[in-house]
Amino acid sequence: MRIGVYVCHCGLNIAGVLDPQDLSEFAGTLPDVEVARDIQFTCSDTGQETIKEDIVEHKLDGVVVAACSPRLHEPTFRKVIADAGMNPFLLEMANIREQCSWVHMEEPARAQEKAKDLIRMAVAKAALLNPLVGEVMPVSQDVLVIGGGVAGIQAALDLADSGLRVYLVERKPTIGGYMALLTDVFPTNDCSICVLAPKMTDVYNHPLITLISYAEILNIEGSVGRFTVSGIKKARFVDESLCKGCINDCAAVCPVEVPDEYQFGLGKRKAIYMPIPQSVPLVVCIDPQACVGCGLCAEACPVDAVKYDQEPEEFKFDVGAIIVATGWKPFDPARKEEFGYGRYKDVITGLQMERLLNAAGPTRGEVVRPSTGEIARSIAFIQCVGSRDHTVGNVYCSRVCCMYALKNAQLVKEKDPDADITIHYIDMRAGGEGYEEFYERAQRLGINFVRGRVSEVQEVDGGLVLTYEDTLLGRFRNSRYDLVCLSTGLEANSDADVVGNILGLAKRPDGFFEIAHPKMRPVEAHIDGVFIAGCASGPKEIQVSIAQGGAAAAKALRLLSRGELALDPVTAMVDTDKCIGCKLCVEICPSKAISVERTAMVDEASCKGCGTCAAACPVDAIDMRLFSDEQILAQVRAATATKREYPFIVGFLCNWCSYAGADLAGTSRIQYPPNMRVIRVMCVGRVDPSFVIEALRNGADGVLISGCRLGECHYDKGNYQAYQRVQVLRGVLEAVGVNPKRVKIIWCAASEGEILAKEMRTFVDELKEIGSIGDELKGGSA
Amino acid sequence: MNEFTKEVLRLAGDEVKTCIQCGTCSASCPTAHLMDNSIRKLVKFVLEGMKDEALNSRSIWLCTSCLACTVRCPRGIRPMAVVSALKQIYEAEGMRNRDSIHEEIFNRHIKERGRVSEFFLSAEYMLRNPQSAAQIISFGAELIPRGKIDIEIRPDSIEGRDEVKRIFEELGGA
Repeated sequence: MRIGVYVCHCGLNIAGVLDPQDLSEFAGTLPDVEVARDIQFTCSDTGQETIKEDIVEHKLDGVVVAACSPRLHEPTFRKVIADAGMNPFLLEMANIREQCSWVHMEEPARAQEKAKDLIRMAVAKAALLNPLVGEVMPVSQDVLVIGGGVAGIQAALDLADSGLRVYLVERKPTIGGYMALLTDVFPTNDCSICVLAPKMTDVYNHPLITLISYAEILNIEGSVGRFTVSGIKKARFVDESLCKGCINDCAAVCPVEVPDEYQFGLGKRKAIYMPIPQSVPLVVCIDPQACVGCGLCAEACPVDAVKYDQEPEEFKFDVGAIIVATGWKPFDPARKEEFGYGRYKDVITGLQMERLLNAAGPTRGEVVRPSTGEIARSIAFIQCVGSRDHTVGNVYCSRVCCMYALKNAQLVKEKDPDADITIHYIDMRAGGEGYEEFYERAQRLGINFVRGRVSEVQEVDGGLVLTYEDTLLGRFRNSRYDLVCLSTGLEANSDADVVGNILGLAKRPDGFFEIAHPKMRPVEAHIDGVFIAGCASGPKEIQVSIAQGGAAAAKALRLLSRGELALDPVTAMVDTDKCIGCKLCVEICPSKAISVERTAMVDEASCKGCGTCAAACPVDAIDMRLFSDEQILAQVRAATATKREYPFIVGFLCNWCSYAGADLAGTSRIQYPPNMRVIRVMCVGRVDPSFVIEALRNGADGVLISGCRLGECHYDKGNYQAYQRVQVLRGVLEAVGVNPKRVKIIWCAASEGEILAKEMRTFVDELKEIGSIGDELKGGSA
Repeated sequence: MNEFTKEVLRLAGDEVKTCIQCGTCSASCPTAHLMDNSIRKLVKFVLEGMKDEALNSRSIWLCTSCLACTVRCPRGIRPMAVVSALKQIYEAEGMRNRDSIHEEIFNRHIKERGRVSEFFLSAEYMLRNPQSAAQIISFGAELIPRGKIDIEIRPDSIEGRDEVKRIFEELGGA
C-alpha cells in the first residue's frame, strides 16, 4: 500500500493544542505511509490540490486525512480523491479536532499522544481498505398506496399528477375513509364530504390511478425499487362496469335489512347497498352474509349488473415504492363499562353524533335521543374516552376529540341556541391553526365546560345522570342530561396488521406504525421505499393527514423520479462457504434485507449497513464493507500499540448519535480526560464481542460502547442487540477472571456531548478503582 | 344559563364566558391571600349560576380595584368588572354587610361632596356598625389627643360638586 497522510492545522483549531508538524513526522514513520504532510487548511483549495498532486505523483492507493470529524468533511475528501482518479472509499479520517484538540485543551501533551494513536489507527484501517462501487439499479416508477382515506387519496393524486402510475388499494367498497362519514369539520365547519368528494372523483377519473376497491393485499415481495404486490379483489356480486349507480332500483326491492356500518349502527341498510351516496366507485355491493339469494335485485336491475356467480379476482403488479395509509379504528367505548355504552340507548359515540348531525344521516341532521326519537335538549360530551387511559392501554392523547366535541357542540348550539350543552374534560387541547379561536367561539356560544372526568353514567327515570367532581370548584356533583356523547379516541387499525406484518413494519407501544425517526422522518418507515401517511402512524386531524399524504408522495417521487437507485456500497456480504443457514441474521436484520434459501443472501438494495448481522453471525460468515472485522481489529491493535494512558480505554461509538455527540462535545469545547481511543461504527449493533476481547487482550483497561438512546436507534433496535451481547460478554469475562465492569455500554444522543464527557470521566474513575488490566486476561483462555 | 349569570355577563361583558380558569387573575391579586374565594372561583360561580356562593363571598369586598387581574387576563376578560357586577347585584338585592355599608357611605360622600372626610366617614360607619365600632373605639380615642384624627366641625367640600354628581348619574353608579 502507498498511503498519503495529511495532518491539518485548521488554523489554530488544531495547531493551537497539537503540533501538526510532529504528527506528520510521526505519520511518516508508520508502515505503508508513502508521504505525510501538515497543511494549514486541508479542506481549502490549496490543501485539496496538494492531495490531488500527491495521489498522481506518488501513485497513492490510500489517503488518511487527520483533521476534523468525518461527519463534517468525509464527503469533501472522498470527492477530492475521486477527482484525482482514486476510488472514493480509499479514504480514512482521523478526528483530531472535535474529538482531540477541542476537548483536551488543558492537556496538550496527552492530546498529542492521543492524536498519534488516532493517526496510527486510521493508517492501519486505510491499509486494509478496498475500492467499493455503488451499484445503480433500475427501478419501477409505479407506486402502491394502501388505503383510500384522505391521506391515501392525497398521496395518490399528488403522485399521479406528478406523472407516476399509482395503484390505490382500498379494502372497503368505497374510498373516502372516515372523513367521508363526518358531518362538518373543524376548525372552519365546512361540510366534510363536500370538500372530499371532488378528490374522490379525481382519483376515479385520473388516467394514471388504478383504483382497486373492495380488495385485500395478500403478499408483497422484493425491496425498494422493485416490490411485487399481489392480492385479491373481493366479489361484489355486481359487475362494476355495468352498474350505473342508480342505488334505489335494486336496494328498494331487497327484503333484507341489516344495521348500516356506515351509520355506526344508527340506521339500516339492505343486503344490496351503496355504502354512501358519494361512493367511489359508484357501484353497489351485495353483502354475502346478509343476502338470502331471492333474486329480486337481479330482476330489478335495468342493466343486468347483478352477478351472483361473480368470483374474487386476483391481481399482481410491480411497484418501486409503497405508501401505507391504512388509517385508524374507533375505540370501542363498551370497554369503559362505567359510561354505559351499549347498556343505555342514549349514550352514543362521537362518530354516531357525526351521523346524527349529518344532513344525509339517519335523522336528516336532527340530534335525537335514540331511546325516544325526541330532540335532545341537554347533551353532555365526555372527553378522553379510550384516550389518556392506562386501564384500556391507551396512554396517548387522540388529538382530535377536543376539537370534534367543540365542533359538534357548536353545531347543536347553532341549531338550538337554548340547548344545554356541557363538555366534561380533563384538559382542553386546541393546538392548531385557528383551533384556540374555535374553542373560544364555543365558549361564546354558551357551551358549558366542566373540568373533571366523569366517573359514571347512570340512567335514572329516563334521563342520564353523570357523576363527577368539578375539580375547579372542588365539588362533587351529579348532572342530568337527555343525551351523552362519548368522545371516543382513535386506535391503531388492527385491519392493517396483515399489511404491517407482510412489510415488516415496526409498531410503537401504542400500536400504531413506527416512523423512521420520531421527529426528523415523519412519513418514512424503517423499510426503504415504504412510507407511512395519516393515522396509520398515530391519531391526526384531517389537515395533517393530507399534509402527510402529500409528504409521503414527495418522498416516493424523490426516490423514484430518476428511474434508478444508486446503492450505498456499505452493505453486508455473506461468505457462502461459511454460512450454515441458521437464519439468525434474518431474525435480527432491521431492514428485512437478508433471506435464506440454503445460505444467507443480502439484498444490497435494502441493506442499510448497520452490521448487526455481522456481529450476530455465529460462524463469522457475514462481514461488512468499509467496516470489516479485519479493519476494525486492525484499528483495535493500532489503538493499543503504545497505551500511554492509564486507564486506557477503547471506545466504539455509533455514527448517528454517540459519535455525533462526541463531536458536539468538541464543538461545545466540553473538556474530558484523553484516555479513550474511539472507533467509529455505523451502529453499536456492529460491535462483535471479539472486538472487545481483542482490545482487552491487547491491554486496554476498559471498553466503552455507546449507542443511540433506547428507542432512538437509527436502525430500530441495534442498541438493544448490543446491550444483550454486552450482558452475555460480561458473564463470559467474569467466568475467565476478568472484571465485567471493564466493559461498559451507555446511551448518548447526538445532542448529549455533556453526557458523553461525563460518562468518560466516570468510567475513568471506575477503572482506576478496578485497577490495571494487568494479568487478568493472560492466564485465561479467552 | 340562569338570570344571575345573564345579569353578570350584561354588566361585566359577554367575554367572561371565554374564561379558561387559568388563575392568572387570582395570582395577580394583591389581596387574594385574604379572600375566601379567589377571583377565578368567583368567575366560575358566575358561569355555573351559583348566585349565593358568589354574592356571599367576602372576596368581592376585598377587591382594591387595582385592575392587575384585568391587565393580565390572557382571554381579555375584566375579572374586576365581575367583582363590581357582583357588588352591584348584592346591593340591588337589598343585601347589606359591614363592607357594603362602608362602600355605600364612601360612595355617597364622594357623590355629595366630591371628597371623603375621614372623621365623618368613620363616625357614620361606627354609628351604623356599633358592633364593629365597639372593637376600635378605645383605639380611636387614643388617637385623638395625639392629633392623628382631624376632628372636623363641618365636612369639607370641593368646588364643582354638581360635576361629580353628574359623573355618578351618567355612569349610573350608586
